[in-house]
Amino acid sequence: MTDPRPEPPPTVAPTAATPMPPEGLDPAFVAEPTVVASSVSMWFGPKVAVTELSCSFGPGVTGLLGPNGAGKTTFMRAMCGVLPTNQGRITVLGRDPRRDRSVQEVLSLVPEDDAVPRALTARQLVRYTASLHSVKDRSAPERSLATVGLSDVADRRLGGFSKGMRQRAKVAAALVTGPQVIVLDEPLNGADPVQRLALIELFQSLGAQGRTVIVSSHVLHEVERLATRQIVMVRGRLAAAGEHRAIRDSLADRPRAVLVRTPEPRRLAADLMAVEAVTGVTLDGSALIVSTPRAGELAQALPLVARKAGARLTEVRPLDDSLESVFRELLR
Amino acid sequence: MSLSPAAERSEGSPLPPPFAAVVLYTLRACLPAKRWFGVLLPCVGALMFGWLALATGTGSRASNFADAAQFGLFLLIFPFTCQIIGDAVLGADVRAGTFQLTWLSPVRFSTIALGRWFGGWVVALVTLVPALALAPVIAGVPEAAGPMAIAGVFGSAAYIALFMMIGVVTRRSALWSLAVVLLGEWLLGTQLAGVAQLSPRWEAQQVFAGIWDYGHLIERDNIPLGWSAAVRLVVITVICLVVATWSLTRMKPIGGDD
Repeated sequence: MTDPRPEPPPTVAPTAATPMPPEGLDPAFVAEPTVVASSVSMWFGPKVAVTELSCSFGPGVTGLLGPNGAGKTTFMRAMCGVLPTNQGRITVLGRDPRRDRSVQEVLSLVPEDDAVPRALTARQLVRYTASLHSVKDRSAPERSLATVGLSDVADRRLGGFSKGMRQRAKVAAALVTGPQVIVLDEPLNGADPVQRLALIELFQSLGAQGRTVIVSSHVLHEVERLATRQIVMVRGRLAAAGEHRAIRDSLADRPRAVLVRTPEPRRLAADLMAVEAVTGVTLDGSALIVSTPRAGELAQALPLVARKAGARLTEVRPLDDSLESVFRELLR
Repeated sequence: MSLSPAAERSEGSPLPPPFAAVVLYTLRACLPAKRWFGVLLPCVGALMFGWLALATGTGSRASNFADAAQFGLFLLIFPFTCQIIGDAVLGADVRAGTFQLTWLSPVRFSTIALGRWFGGWVVALVTLVPALALAPVIAGVPEAAGPMAIAGVFGSAAYIALFMMIGVVTRRSALWSLAVVLLGEWLLGTQLAGVAQLSPRWEAQQVFAGIWDYGHLIERDNIPLGWSAAVRLVVITVICLVVATWSLTRMKPIGGDD
């Protein structure tokens, strides 16, 4: 009989670069949370989207990561009150976003879907949002449009915008209310490389201002640059939490590939096969791709083996340190 | 992406209060050009019915127009024009996934419902009601223009509230709206006075019949007549708005694809 409870996420040691919880606190939680999810489960008929998810978000940028179908969008919608939870509870600044309308005063969602009122201009969209939130500063819409670089095209209809421009218009509409918590579901979709960089900088600056910025994305290398802290969801469950390298390190007992480049690859390959931590070696030109379930042990053994074999190491680097590889491993 | 000095200097025009913003959004975003075309087309149809009553009728002008009003204006033009408007102000917005923008705000749901309904009603007041009032003028019965306009004002208010409510309560709002008109009003309402009393179409017709001098030609028994029917339409409007407001608190404002 299997244990029905979800597996606890890999424990990740806090690093200086991340707004991590104090020592001893579960890495899925932060010390001063603004958004707290407690044992959240959500399902649609027979399809379970989120399972027993518990985590919290605080000031700064947090990436919500996971492959397609992981339940990120459902979870984000629940955070904003768009969808109710079937079990468990989500609070934003201590309030239920589904029941307490006042939460919307401090919360903004940039949804993933491309749905915008196409007949409106960007300026009308941002001014509409500002009006709904009773924004007092009448220059706020213009500032918001300028922030996302849409001032020059603010009087063009959204229907004539590219997808990336529509995304930026949605971001402008979200920012105009000066939210304390900003939930961005795949906000970089459709943006060109220059705009992606600009949006990443913008989100980072919002996080630096002390706002809680929660960003989901499948463009993982960008999220690695964007978010200091990451929550990884796989199949509706919390799979890992923490800084992405720390998450990767916490999975050290899972197979990973390491590229080793040397002028004497054949000699080194033979010696490496004798190392207990190595499960396989593939020769690829002047490089070896070493498979290991225990990267730490390999790191200690490799210099000794190389010296013994008389092989000079010109390059050693993990091949699968990206979040894609983390997803792949977590999915196993 | 830093703030431009020009943007920082710009004060911008005053922002409207939430209710006005919802009404403006309804007029701008919910009723784009294509929808306006869909609204204006049946309005042209209303004028055509007036012309048909004049050109092809065999009885007196009043009886010819009474037939045109009953089987053309109230049966066809009125419900379908209001359905186009009523669906546009909320149901279509929900299906498109754009209603989230409004729902995710601190504005009270009653303000949203009222603003959307009012925006739709304004559209009816500037399109459908003038067309309904012009139809009897074209038909050579200008004294019926006032009663027809009054029936249009009260009837469209109730109809748009009804269709808007359906847009909040159901996912397939266009289909349910059609079912209400075809099955509820046409089929059951024609036979059962109890059902007709809840029908904006029949009540609007009774408003017209009660105020117009020749209204006896189309009036129905056992249904409030004239201003009593107008009061009934106001009650229907209020009930639909209350239900719509309540339903907004329970809805999941995600697009039709989700």
